[in-house]
Amino acid sequence: MSLEVEVDALRKVPLFRGIDETKLRLLAFISDRMQYQTGEHLCEQGEEGDTAFIILKGEADVRVHTRDGDRSVATVREHSIVGEIAILCDVPRTATLVARTDMDVLTVTKDDFLKLLKEFPDMSLEVMRTLAQRLERTTRDLATARSGGADA
Amino acid sequence: MEKSLFRFIWRFSARQQLLILFVTVLSYPVSYILLELPKLIVNDAVQGDGFPRVIFGFEFDQISYLFLLCVAFLTLVIVSNGIKLGINVYKGRLGERMLRRLRFELFQRVLRFRLPHFRKVSSGEIIPMITAEVEDVGGFIGEAFALPAYQGGLLVVQLGFIFMQDPLLGLAAISSYPVQAYIIPKLQRKVVLLSRERVKNIRIVSDKVGEAISAVPEIHANDASAWHSADVADRLYSNFKIRYEIYNRKYFIKFLNNFLNQLTPFFFYMIGGYLVIEGSLSIGALLAVIAAYKDLAGPWKELLDYYQLVADVNVKYQTVVENFDPADIYPVERLTGDERVSLDGDVVLNGVSFTGGVAGQEVFSASLHVRKATAVAVVGPDGSGRAEILQLAAGLLSPTAGRVEIAGHDLERLTESTLGREIAYVGSSVHVWTGTIRDNLYYGLRHRPMSDVERTGSAADERKRALREARETRNPTFDIQAIWEDLGAAGAASREELDELALQLLTVVGLDADIYRLGLQSRFDPSMDDRFADRILAVRRKLADRIASDPKLAGLVEMWDANAFNQSATLAENLFFAVPTDPAVTMDLMPGQPAVLAFLSRTGLNADLQAIGLKIAETMVELFANISSDSGLLGTYSFITQDDLPEFDRIVRQAKSANQKVGLSEADRERLIALAFKLIPARHRLGVLDDAMRARIIAARADFRKQVVDGNPAYTPVDPDAYLPPLHIEDNLLFGRARVDRRDARQRIDAVIRTVVEEEELREPIIFTGFGYHVGVSGSKLSAHQRRKLALVRALLKNAAVTILDDVAAGSGDDDMALRRRLMILLEGRTVLFGTPHLNVAGEFEHSVELDQGRVVRVDGVDPAAGQKDQQ
Repeated sequence: MSLEVEVDALRKVPLFRGIDETKLRLLAFISDRMQYQTGEHLCEQGEEGDTAFIILKGEADVRVHTRDGDRSVATVREHSIVGEIAILCDVPRTATLVARTDMDVLTVTKDDFLKLLKEFPDMSLEVMRTLAQRLERTTRDLATARSGGADA
Repeated sequence: MEKSLFRFIWRFSARQQLLILFVTVLSYPVSYILLELPKLIVNDAVQGDGFPRVIFGFEFDQISYLFLLCVAFLTLVIVSNGIKLGINVYKGRLGERMLRRLRFELFQRVLRFRLPHFRKVSSGEIIPMITAEVEDVGGFIGEAFALPAYQGGLLVVQLGFIFMQDPLLGLAAISSYPVQAYIIPKLQRKVVLLSRERVKNIRIVSDKVGEAISAVPEIHANDASAWHSADVADRLYSNFKIRYEIYNRKYFIKFLNNFLNQLTPFFFYMIGGYLVIEGSLSIGALLAVIAAYKDLAGPWKELLDYYQLVADVNVKYQTVVENFDPADIYPVERLTGDERVSLDGDVVLNGVSFTGGVAGQEVFSASLHVRKATAVAVVGPDGSGRAEILQLAAGLLSPTAGRVEIAGHDLERLTESTLGREIAYVGSSVHVWTGTIRDNLYYGLRHRPMSDVERTGSAADERKRALREARETRNPTFDIQAIWEDLGAAGAASREELDELALQLLTVVGLDADIYRLGLQSRFDPSMDDRFADRILAVRRKLADRIASDPKLAGLVEMWDANAFNQSATLAENLFFAVPTDPAVTMDLMPGQPAVLAFLSRTGLNADLQAIGLKIAETMVELFANISSDSGLLGTYSFITQDDLPEFDRIVRQAKSANQKVGLSEADRERLIALAFKLIPARHRLGVLDDAMRARIIAARADFRKQVVDGNPAYTPVDPDAYLPPLHIEDNLLFGRARVDRRDARQRIDAVIRTVVEEEELREPIIFTGFGYHVGVSGSKLSAHQRRKLALVRALLKNAAVTILDDVAAGSGDDDMALRRRLMILLEGRTVLFGTPHLNVAGEFEHSVELDQGRVVRVDGVDPAAGQKDQQ
């Protein structure tokens, strides 16, 4: 798979939807392409995280520690970006990622991603917009959940 | 040392000087006849009559007489020039020998300086003294006596001739001499003073330059370049002023000499003419005198030049020598003595005082008694006299009052051959020598050559000559090529055992892992020890098996396979499948190698590689064109630097506009090829390599092997069954590349390598290879921490009776404490003085001595003045 394929995949990531192709190519180029085999861990909960993962192929379980042991809370699939929170603000990993199938992943380090945002302010705007939308949705979900809870 | 140059020369070369003088005088008649013969040939042989002549009973007609004279002339030419050649070489050799003696004496004196003296002198000043400043002295020595004697002799003879003709004219001839003899020394004296000043000024410059070099980070960190520049510039200006002044005076002296010399003929013509007119002198006599005076000018000028030279060289000699004669210099026997007495006994300081002339480096009437085979902590903050007490106990400093005794011997009376072997001292600042780790480890065992080097044929003759020269110049006759390591002192029977011992000590101080890593990074020549190479290959095979059998590991490494493309290696590595034998030739330099260039154009690969390079360049230019130069993105990720980008931009545009690559110069093409060579497909993912190209590259491997590598010592083929000397041991162990597209592949595979190396018991041999690691200038490639530990092992290896450690592993941290514990177990049963600034560290020791402001304030926690005098 070459850069072009990766750029196609990146375009399908919601976060990067509005960003033009040359910048995506640059993002792809400065990222590291990694393969993970089934069962391999991409990251561990509680660790310092300095990379984001963009899944090109395959899927991964999102697991969190609970009192009853690790529990799978979600699955991330192709064209999703995970761990981006870690590269925008310094927080430990909130979950463990375990490859459920063989995976192809682009990893972007925090430093490079920030450099890229600094280089291309419209890219920052795009990222901001996406994050704002997500926040808005989360807020709405929370409100629904609260009111739903009150109803019950 | 001889204060005067002449005394030095006369003392050490009187016999040679007399010989030179004798031969010089002997050559005079030869030169005289040589001048006379041509006249004889013309007047007597060509124009003469009365042939045949009878010489020594043989008859000669005119032709054979001419022939005889000419042959005699030729013979004399050869003899005269032969003498000149011989005497010049002899003088040169004498000068060089004396210079060698002088320089060695100076160096030896540096070794004899007491430690406090080094506060006053700096290497920046001492070095030019020994090297450059005495250089002129050597050239002068051969002439020192012969020239004035010979030229003076000539002068006297000529003057005698003039005086015999007419005393008055004789007086006229020497009339300018008193004036010259009075004025010139006065002027010359000023020049001498200026020369002294100049020498001292240049020494300071050299000192400042030396200091700037050793402290260069400090200069940059403080933006002090301007200050240093101004400082040096100012000194250089002083130098210029002094030199200018010297020139003025020197040439004025010359002018005066010339003037006075030419003033004399004025008197000749004046007085001589008057006398001739008066009739009291014949015209013939006047002409003869004038001719003689002309001959007088030569020697006189030589003598005056000689006088100036003497003044110059003498001042140089004196300004050097006065720096090497401190009053308290150690006797030379301290260095050269071979006597060794055992210091296995109590260490006793009896009312010892020391003043270094600096506050905080003093000891006042300190007394302490360390029993044999006990360990004592010497506690005191920096400036308490701790360092001085320990150096006094090590015999490095001499007490200004009182006595330091070990096993009943006064350290002042012992030679280094005892002090340096019976006492192991490691101070707070250690020095690691430029050389290998091994050189540094065994430095403490190199006291005298331990073996004779077997030499035969010309090497033996060469050695004999070296010995003769050494004796001639009072240099030491030790053989630097001999084995110097005293294995017995370390308790080893062989060099292998010594290595083992060193490794044990390295493990004790915790330096083994570092050296193991250095060993992995070292190159090793399999021709030295092919068994080791075989073992490395065994590890390589085992590693390959393990990787092949474990799918998890297999995913981390891409093994080298002659028939497969390695995506984690560069295109160049894939194509050549061989490494340049000279490690200095890196892969970057490969496109410039003639054999490689020829191969590429022969196979037509250069066009393909250029196309690949061009595609890469295009992509790079496109990706990074709009990136600002300070973003740092380009430096980290592209194989093009920011500075190269415009250049590649030009190449790309040129290649496009010309449609064909006609517009590209040879250099541009090489750059494109070099760019293509750096491509690592798995990392860069530019999609510029298709399967057909990969196949082509794999096919080209075999051709490259056949056409370039085979039979060419410059390249070593990559072969799974052969050790590759140009690569590090590490790269030889793993016959493949850690995959760049797997997380932490390198670290994970390193762990596997470590395990296999340990299973195969290869760790030790690799550490021993690490012993050969070059530590850089003064150990600059090692960390300060590593340097200290290395110095510690060096001291421990000596097996000395008394071990003195100052501020080594003396901290209160856990690491230091653990190291201290291991050290004390190792040194059990030996006398140990352990210097530390921390009081709590002293608690670990059975005995302790506390110092404050140069005084012993507590012994084993008790004030010695309060209790009884007899303490431990």
